[in-house]
Amino acid sequence: MPIQNEVLVRAVDLRKSYGEHEAVRGVDFEILRGEAFGFLGANGAGKSTTMRMIGCVSQPTGGTLEVFDRDPRTEGASIRARLGVVPQDNTLDGMLTVFENLVVYAGYFGIRKKAAREKAAELLDFVQLTPRSKDQVSELSGGMQRRLAIARSLINDPDLVILDEPTTGLDPQARHLVWERLFQLKQRGVSILLTTHYMDEAEQLCDRLVVMDEGRIIAAGSPRELIDTHVTKEVVELRFGAAHTTELAELAPALAGVGAQIEPLPDKILVYTDDADDTSAALEARGVQPTSTLARRATLEDVFLRLTGRALVEDEA
Amino acid sequence: MSTALDARVGTRAPVDRTAPGVAVGAWRAFNLQLALYRHVWHGTVFTSVLLPILYMVSIGIGVGAYIDPASLGGIEYAEFIAPGLICSVAVMMLGNDMVYPVHGGYQDWGGHYLAQRATPLKPVDILNGHLAYAVVFRPFTNCAIVTAVMAFFGVYASWWAALAVVAAALVAASLAPWLHCWASSIKNDSNLNMIFRFAVMPISLFSGVFFPASEMPVFLQPLVWASPLWHGTELARAATADVAPALPPAAHIAYLALLAVAGWFAARRVIQRRLNF
Repeated sequence: MPIQNEVLVRAVDLRKSYGEHEAVRGVDFEILRGEAFGFLGANGAGKSTTMRMIGCVSQPTGGTLEVFDRDPRTEGASIRARLGVVPQDNTLDGMLTVFENLVVYAGYFGIRKKAAREKAAELLDFVQLTPRSKDQVSELSGGMQRRLAIARSLINDPDLVILDEPTTGLDPQARHLVWERLFQLKQRGVSILLTTHYMDEAEQLCDRLVVMDEGRIIAAGSPRELIDTHVTKEVVELRFGAAHTTELAELAPALAGVGAQIEPLPDKILVYTDDADDTSAALEARGVQPTSTLARRATLEDVFLRLTGRALVEDEA
Repeated sequence: MSTALDARVGTRAPVDRTAPGVAVGAWRAFNLQLALYRHVWHGTVFTSVLLPILYMVSIGIGVGAYIDPASLGGIEYAEFIAPGLICSVAVMMLGNDMVYPVHGGYQDWGGHYLAQRATPLKPVDILNGHLAYAVVFRPFTNCAIVTAVMAFFGVYASWWAALAVVAAALVAASLAPWLHCWASSIKNDSNLNMIFRFAVMPISLFSGVFFPASEMPVFLQPLVWASPLWHGTELARAATADVAPALPPAAHIAYLALLAVAGWFAARRVIQRRLNF
C-alpha cells in the first residue's frame, strides 16, 4: 500500500498516435510511491504503449505526462536512471553469464565494478539464482530468466519498477515463483507498475489498477472496489454439454430474472448474483438443467467482461 | 522494516542519477561489447594471427615468386599485399561486429540495444559505444597484432609501418557507421547476407589489396576510388613500404573522414528511429 502520497507518475489526457492509429486516447492516472499499480487489459488495449511513455522510450503525442515531477520529453535519461524495467522479452544477453548480465547492466547506471559485484550477488540471492551465477543465460529456464530480469531491474535501487506482463509465457510453477518474488518486493515497499492480462496476477499484486480497452481507461480502483462497483458478489457458471455460442445465446433469455445479469459466452452462461445459493434454487425451480454448475465469487475477469463484453483470454489468442 | 523511501533489495549502490555526457555514455555502452569480447577473443586469434600467416605464405610468398617486383613499383609482392591485408582484416572484423550484432540489438532474441535503451543511455550513446568497439578497440588490438605478425615476414621498410594500424582504423571508421545503418534498417534477418554480398565482399576484392588498382578495367575504376579500403590500403602501403600513395595522404584521409562523419549522422538517424517507439 502507498506509504506516502508522493506522486511518482502523473498523466493527464495522455495520448499516443502512430499515424492514423490512436493507441492511447487520452488517459488520466496517478501512481503513488510505495504502491503496486496495474494496467489491466487485452492485447492492443494500449497498456504497453502507456508503459513505454512512462519508461521514456516513447514520446507522447498529446496530453501531459510527468514522471518524478519531470518531463519525459526533455529529461528522459535522468528519469530512466531512477526506473527499473522488466520488459516482456527480458532482453538479457544470452552470451554473458548470469552474474555478468547484472554487472554490465549496473555499468549503464554508472555503478562502479566493486559496488556492482556486491549488488549483483545480493540480487541473485534475492531471486534465488546464486547457484546459477556462473551459467550462461541461454542455459536458464524461462522462469529463471524472468527472475534474472527482475533482479537486473533492481540494480539501480529504482524509485519505480516497471514490469511488462511479468509472467506471460511462464508455466504455472514459474509464475508462482515470480509472483512470490514480486510480493516480496511489495513487502519491502518498492513501488511497482505492471501490465498484465492475468486477472489473478492483478488481484494478488495490485493495490490499485486501471482497466484499459481500445486506448482508454474504462475503470479504475482497487481490485475489490472494481468488483464491488461493476459486478455482483458471486457468479454462477452454467454449462450445457456440447451446446455452444448460438445455442447458449438462445438459452439465455429463459434465464431472465434469476440473477442481476445473464452473460452468454461461447462455452458457458454466466449468471451474476449476490447469492449463488438462491440463484441455483431459482434455476432448479424453473426446470433449467445444466450439465454442470459452478458457483464462485466474482473476479476482475468478470469486471472486464461486463465492461467490454469480451473475455481477456479470447483477445489473447 | 523498510519504508517507501529506502525501499530496495540489498545495500544501496552509488548510482549516477543524471544523464551521462557523450563520452561517458559511449564508454558505458562500450563496456557491453568488451564483456562480450572476453567470451569470444580466442576466436579472433584466427583472423589476427593464423589468417595473415596463411595469406602471406600462400599468396605473398607462393604467388609472389611469379611476380616481377618491377610491375609493383620495385617492391616485393609480399611487401605489396601486407598493408592491404592489415586493412582487410579491419573490414573482415566489421563483417563480424557490425552486421548480426547490430541487427540482433533490436530483436527479441538478443535485444541488447533494447536493454540499454531502458537505462540512462540514449540511442546515440548506444551507437557510439558500439562504434568505439568496432572502430577503435578492434583495429588497435587485432590489426595491431596482424601488423606485428607481418613483421616476421620482413615486409616493412621502417618503424613507420606501425601507422598501418591507424590506416586500418580509418578504414573501419569510414565503413562501420554505414554498415551499422544498413544492418539497423533491415527488418528480416535473412536479408543480412546482402551486406556481405554487396558491401563487404566487393570492397575486399576491388580495393587494390592483391594487385594494383590501376590494373582494373576502366569502367571499374570508380568503384576502386569509392572504396574506403583502397584509400586505407594506399595510406598503409605508404607507411609500410615507403611508396607514394595514389593521392596526397591528406586527400585519402579527408575522404575517409568525410565518409565516417556522413555515416555517423546516417547511423544516428536510423538508431534514433529504431529505438524511439
